[in-house]
Amino acid sequence: MGLIIAMVLPAVVGSLLIIGSRRINAGAAGFLALAAAAGALVATVAAAASGARIKRSWVADWGIGANFATDQISSPLALLTASITVLVVLHGLRHRPPGGSAGLYYGLLLLVELGALATFWTRDLIVFFIAFEIVLIPMWVLIHRFGDNHDPVARREAAIRFVLYTALGSSIMLTGILALVGQAGTSDMRQVLAAGLTSDTQLWIALLLVIGLAVKVPVFPFHSWLPPAHTIAPTAGSVLLAAVLLKMGTYGLIRLPLALTPDGFARVGPLLATLGVVGILWGGLICLVERDLKRLIAYSSVAHMGFVALALGTGSGLGLQAALIANVAHGVISALLFFVVGALKDRWGSVDLSVVRPALRESWPGLGVALMVGLAGSLGLPGLAGFWGEFLAIASAWNPQGSGAAAPIVWLQDAERIGWFAYSPLDALFEIDGIQIALTAGPPNAALIRGLAVAAALGAVLAAAYSLRVAKLIWMGDEAPRDWAGDVTPVEALVMAVLAIAIIVLGLMPYLIFSGPTPFGGVLR
Amino acid sequence: MTTSLISIDWRVLVPVLAPAIGALLVLLVDALAPRARGLHLPIGLAALGAGLGGLPYAVTTATPTRTLCLPGPDARCFYETGPTGLTLQLIALAGSLLVLLMLGPGTRHLDRMQRGGPAVTVGLVLAATTGAVMVVAARDLPTWLVAIELATLPAVALVALSRGRGAEGGALSLLMVSLTSFAFLACGIGLWVLATGDASFSTDTLRVAFDDTPRHRVLLLSILFLLAGLGFKLSAVPFHTWTPQAFVVSDEPIAAYLATVSKAAAVGAAVVVLGPLVSVTAAGSDDGHSIRLVLGVLAAASMTLGNLVALRADDPVRLLAWSTIAQAGWVLAPLAMLTPTAVSASVAYLLVYVLGSLAVFAVTAAVHPRAEGAGERSLTAYRGLARRSPLLAIVLGLGLLTLAGLPPAVLGVVAKIVAITPVVATGQWWLVAILVANIVLGIAVYLRWLLYAVRPAPSITPGDTAESAPAPRLDPGLRIALLLLAAALVLLSLVPGLALGLAR
Repeated sequence: MGLIIAMVLPAVVGSLLIIGSRRINAGAAGFLALAAAAGALVATVAAAASGARIKRSWVADWGIGANFATDQISSPLALLTASITVLVVLHGLRHRPPGGSAGLYYGLLLLVELGALATFWTRDLIVFFIAFEIVLIPMWVLIHRFGDNHDPVARREAAIRFVLYTALGSSIMLTGILALVGQAGTSDMRQVLAAGLTSDTQLWIALLLVIGLAVKVPVFPFHSWLPPAHTIAPTAGSVLLAAVLLKMGTYGLIRLPLALTPDGFARVGPLLATLGVVGILWGGLICLVERDLKRLIAYSSVAHMGFVALALGTGSGLGLQAALIANVAHGVISALLFFVVGALKDRWGSVDLSVVRPALRESWPGLGVALMVGLAGSLGLPGLAGFWGEFLAIASAWNPQGSGAAAPIVWLQDAERIGWFAYSPLDALFEIDGIQIALTAGPPNAALIRGLAVAAALGAVLAAAYSLRVAKLIWMGDEAPRDWAGDVTPVEALVMAVLAIAIIVLGLMPYLIFSGPTPFGGVLR
Repeated sequence: MTTSLISIDWRVLVPVLAPAIGALLVLLVDALAPRARGLHLPIGLAALGAGLGGLPYAVTTATPTRTLCLPGPDARCFYETGPTGLTLQLIALAGSLLVLLMLGPGTRHLDRMQRGGPAVTVGLVLAATTGAVMVVAARDLPTWLVAIELATLPAVALVALSRGRGAEGGALSLLMVSLTSFAFLACGIGLWVLATGDASFSTDTLRVAFDDTPRHRVLLLSILFLLAGLGFKLSAVPFHTWTPQAFVVSDEPIAAYLATVSKAAAVGAAVVVLGPLVSVTAAGSDDGHSIRLVLGVLAAASMTLGNLVALRADDPVRLLAWSTIAQAGWVLAPLAMLTPTAVSASVAYLLVYVLGSLAVFAVTAAVHPRAEGAGERSLTAYRGLARRSPLLAIVLGLGLLTLAGLPPAVLGVVAKIVAITPVVATGQWWLVAILVANIVLGIAVYLRWLLYAVRPAPSITPGDTAESAPAPRLDPGLRIALLLLAAALVLLSLVPGLALGLAR
């Protein structure tokens, strides 16, 4: 029930808002959208807590099923999506970008939510692809209509580049999916698992899936759509892109190639890990010199997603844990940063770092604090959400088989403690419906993977360097008069506070995201 | 007693007879009561509706609907429809119905479209539809050839009678193509009879001819001729050049007719030819591979060239003409795999393409109210359409996204998946790569158009005529067609199984 409500509510309210966008006034549209988003969040929590499952035939003649379920990998991301949507709609009540009617704006946000939730919950390969595509058009319109209107040509190009790049990626993924469905004879993920494909078949299917999803993540050579899209998109668009859309890519990597073609993925893994590390360094280096703050945060996203790719590429249980938490952590941190940068852009007109401005610490301390929490999270400060993902990613690359690095988590987690909605990723991944998946095919070349660990650690240093650069340029500075009127509005304060608290809570209690009796390194049952 | 030679089940023939009788009735009414201009459209709609009502919706592959059977134990039938045939007949009848609604002959519309008068227009549409419905079910060569020409020639007349400037020129090029195509088909048929010694599309005689080396060569030549002839009708590259010429000079509903019902007739003709080939080459032969390669190359060239040129077109109807060429490639790609599932995939894709195309053509008919000739229509006329007329914008968006294969038009996405599946299953990876590239190209083509519709009103230029123009007044027939198409696209996007299951 929760699943259906959480998907139907945004779909119906979103469509109605778009269709009736000329007739409904902004206030009513906002509250309707907020109600829908909040309802979807409640339903998502309920679904996550109850472990809901739907299984129905949809396009019966072609064997496609409306097959949805929650599990330990989906739920954190679904919750992230539903929460971020509430925040984004809330933010829109006071800070809606110009460019179109309120109904259209909220409707698009809700449709993006629908696509993301359906992607995270579906257990049918074909439906996964369709859900994956649902977000494209709403996001395209969001960037195109509501984006930064300084340069219409750049805006149009950024929007269309976003659509074409991601459509290319998902089409490649589609061929992988269709090959998989053809080989396995079913599009139900659980049954695909049982089909027992040969290792070579798995390799080329995994290759297609990884390349296709790498565009969405984005992994290094496929990332060039992200910075312009982020730079041009309105604040809500950037937040959704970073916190939700990129997660669809990493989630897809876990759900499709890793879970369904494990042998193939283990062989593609080193390549993925290498590209991830190149992305970490590339993104970090660009962040050191980038002048546009929004673009800088976008490149830092490339770097953070590089850590996820590295962690997944190690093919270890610990790496998987790292990827899961890095995913959620990046979602929360980048959402906060984009909210702050969006607020600054509204106030300053641009976020060019080379322009000298009054120090944030002095003039707008509210925004200043939010920015610092975001930057600290981004650089991986221990105690904040960003730390665990990066630390464990590097640890998993250094020693894929070991569990030594995980000691602090075990300690934090109070040994056997389980999160508030009971789940265990290892159970989900390594034993689904009685089918064993062993992800033990560790990296073939210890020297390579250790080299990658070292390089990724260097990347973490770069993250510290560029975060501090930003802090120095806009947060520190000479004394400036306190500007009460320009500081955070109540809505901004609420949104940013929620995200900042989430960053701290996840930093102190990472087991909220990965928990279970044997989190990692333990017995792969 | 010649009646006992062949058994006729009139009920089965209703889909073919209804439009044919309708056409006769229209001409009769025109002869007896020339003043009754308002009668023709209802007669036409009723005839097509009767045809739709007479379709055997419950038909399955195992037990096709048959009639015109010879007596005897191994009774051979000359009229046969299975699920794919049913789908194609449905497309032809429903497509014609919508085109007639858009044309609205005899109503206010008449003055701006179609010079011949309502009786001529309705009669021609019904006649061409009869051919399109018949060709799918024809199992003997002469009927097949007559039917395919019956589907083509009235369409030539409809183009010639269009109001746009240069309509005669366009009709002439279409006529030349039809004649060339007819010549190819006639040669192909002659060679087919020579090779098989049988004037019908029968699997048994084909198999015998296939195994006999000298006859085998003649048969291959025959297939090549037939494919070339059908290539013209399908507007597959390199037989496509007539398409943009004929489309841009036609009234928009006539262009829609060429893009949809005529395509259904061409695909139907191709399915009839390829049907026996599918069962013969299923065992796996070299010829299967070479036919697959030839068709695959045609498909790849059509979609790539069509999309690339459509990307540059500014006249929306010209854009649609090239998009039709590209979509012909998408229909051909699964067909080229020569497997039974691939044939139904191709027909299912055609159904979705026809829905999307009709939606977009209906919007063009509404947006360009004067019969504008080539060079006068422009995509800029769609600026701010979402603000001026939400209905038109929604139908346009759904239609374009269906053609592009993007949600919220889930129907289009599922159609793309259905079309690619057989190609992946057969392992033609080079074609898969081209299909993937063309998904992206196609998205670029259709979003470019959609961009104009969703573009915010340019408030800086108050004198912009396109912007200050009031919402176009819709004729009742056109409005009904638009609403029907919107409802169909929304419904089928929620339950795509309804449409796609039909062809199975």
